[in-house]
Amino acid sequence: MQGVFVLVLVGLTSIAGAVFVMRRLAWPATALATGALAALELLGAGLVCFLVNLGLGVAVILLVRALSPSPVSVYVLNDVALLALSLVQGLVFQGWRQATRDPRHAISRSRSSSSSSG
Amino acid sequence: MCRIAGAAGVAGFLIIAFTPLPNALDRWLTIPARIEPADAIVVLAAGLNSDEILSNSSMRRALRGITLYKLGLAPLLALSGSPSQRSGRPEVEIRAQLARDVGVPPAALVLVGTPRTTREEAVEFGRLLKLRGVRRILLVTHGDHMPRALPLFQRAGFEVLPAPVFDTISDAAPEDRLSTTRSLVMELAARLYYRAAGYF
Repeated sequence: MQGVFVLVLVGLTSIAGAVFVMRRLAWPATALATGALAALELLGAGLVCFLVNLGLGVAVILLVRALSPSPVSVYVLNDVALLALSLVQGLVFQGWRQATRDPRHAISRSRSSSSSSG
Repeated sequence: MCRIAGAAGVAGFLIIAFTPLPNALDRWLTIPARIEPADAIVVLAAGLNSDEILSNSSMRRALRGITLYKLGLAPLLALSGSPSQRSGRPEVEIRAQLARDVGVPPAALVLVGTPRTTREEAVEFGRLLKLRGVRRILLVTHGDHMPRALPLFQRAGFEVLPAPVFDTISDAAPEDRLSTTRSLVMELAARLYYRAAGYF
């Protein structure tokens, strides 16, 4: 019941929001797919960062446990803050990647590479 | 690649949070209880909260063990508990105090306060309880932890009767399903590690 309520609530606000932005702000419906794919890319980058952080964290803890007698529990990684920070990390890297594709940055990159080669 | 990872993340989240799959997996992986008379009841550690009171899991396990003892299922109640990270006060002391407060005689208590892992608990209890002639134990731990703990205690030489403890979770709340999945993933990873390390 709780799950259905949450799904219905988010579904209704999504529909209402879509109707509002299309009618009042004239956002084209065709851009929705592009926006959704961009959101998936941002989320995916966060998940990749999470897996990297998790894997590296486990490796470091196992190494410390092997090399020292002091107890270090793998459970220290069982913290939702790791997921949240990884998502932020992914958002920043993905944003950086997209900004790098921006023509203005392409010009500055070509300038810096030509000045360094000259 | 990021797009595929994102789509997989969204699909996984929706399946985990909004379908009964985690609850079904949890039930499927759990070993059913077998409550019969034994030589000792062994209650595994579950940690203290940061304010140095028993965690919810630790309290549930301790109460389950005390209840089984009060039902007369074994003459010994063996409690485990690792030292607090902050003050060094062992969880086992707080559990033992709780047991004594509700009428468990001190002579019936076997306390172990040094192990930090399930494997160390099995080794330590194997050493201590065998000296007392214990062969058959009722093992108290959480249902998702039981499949890892049981073979370790069997390997330590005991006949093990599982007495699992369960947290009350709602089948319909997305947050509870996410929590169940998190516990399952952690436990499955721990089992993989134990198997790779040759512990069972």
